[in-house]
Amino acid sequence: MTDARTLMTKYCDGDPASFRELYALLAPRLLGYLMRMTRDRTTAEDLLQQTFAKVHRARGAYVRGADPAPWIFAIAHRTFLDDRRRARRGAMLTDHGDLPEVAAALSGEPADVAAARAEIDIAATRAALAALDSLPAPQREAVFLTKLDGRSVAEAAEIAGTTPGAMKVRAHRGYVALRRLLGGAP
Amino acid sequence: MTIPPIAAELEQELARLSPVTTRRPVRQALLAGAVSLVYAAIVLAVIAVRRELADLPRLWLVLYLGAWLAGFAVPVWFALVPRPGGMLPRWRLAGAIAAVSAVGFVVAGLLVPRSAAASLHLGLDYAHQCLSLGLVTAIVPVVLGTLLLRGAAPVGSRVTAAALGAAGGSLGGFVLHLHCPIADGIHVGLVHGAVVAVAALLAAALVPRALRP
Repeated sequence: MTDARTLMTKYCDGDPASFRELYALLAPRLLGYLMRMTRDRTTAEDLLQQTFAKVHRARGAYVRGADPAPWIFAIAHRTFLDDRRRARRGAMLTDHGDLPEVAAALSGEPADVAAARAEIDIAATRAALAALDSLPAPQREAVFLTKLDGRSVAEAAEIAGTTPGAMKVRAHRGYVALRRLLGGAP
Repeated sequence: MTIPPIAAELEQELARLSPVTTRRPVRQALLAGAVSLVYAAIVLAVIAVRRELADLPRLWLVLYLGAWLAGFAVPVWFALVPRPGGMLPRWRLAGAIAAVSAVGFVVAGLLVPRSAAASLHLGLDYAHQCLSLGLVTAIVPVVLGTLLLRGAAPVGSRVTAAALGAAGGSLGGFVLHLHCPIADGIHVGLVHGAVVAVAALLAAALVPRALRP
């Protein structure tokens, strides 16, 4: 398979087939990343589409010869943050001063989230992924990028917009928490 | 893992896909530097060079002007030129250099003022004019840097913007240093030096959205 650099270059030169190949190459990893971040496949798919729409609009920012993956992952990261910010704003008080009512499942989580999770999260039945889901977002992201997506600490830091030192700390805390959740020694 | 198909809107745009000019960072940095310097020279030509410039200590003047230019060029370089093989701005480095220059020019102005016989000693008088002039000079580097970097900084955009602002502010300080005859340390430090910090803060507040895809 052609690498991301070549595909991105051809895509910028006006070849739509290269965009489709780039999508096929990167979308699985991006979707995995976004699913780990959002814990919801529907939201992750939506953010994936938003990410590629942004890539398309900003493709002129590509530097020929550069690996576009960190840039595209950073766009996914930013898209996730913006979505989370919007969701938080949506959860603010209503005009009557009440918190908006959210239907809840027996587990206590919102019904729509619970339904979506039950429907799609087959992979999360595995204990490790379930434990990963329960980590705070920065730690979850650090573990995903450095362990599941195989990125270096420097690349992961670049994607998350933080320092390599902070990324190391997040990843370490994530590993410790995972070990505790999975019943291992601290 | 099943991947969703490409969204219909995006497919429509792909159907009429045309080639785009991609970013050439080194060329862009040189362009931003050259255009900004020409603009600074025009500003200086309009407002005139300080009358006692030739009487100022030569070494001090050269070092100070060199520092202003470095405060402009280095953050612009790191904001616009990614590391080899990458495409994200080196925003941490640019931001750190911008922070050092924002503090450094205030401290240097306060600690190492030099004057000539014809220099003025008016303290903070005309502070508003100097600040305005410095910020007007900063506009072109900031706007140009923003245009060249648009869409390239999904993360670190606020720090990148601040670095561009500080770079523009340093160019403003450079122009002020050649124009303003007020030689008090408090004026050079707190007014000329402050241009860097104010320009960085304004850019950090106004620019980031334009840098994100």
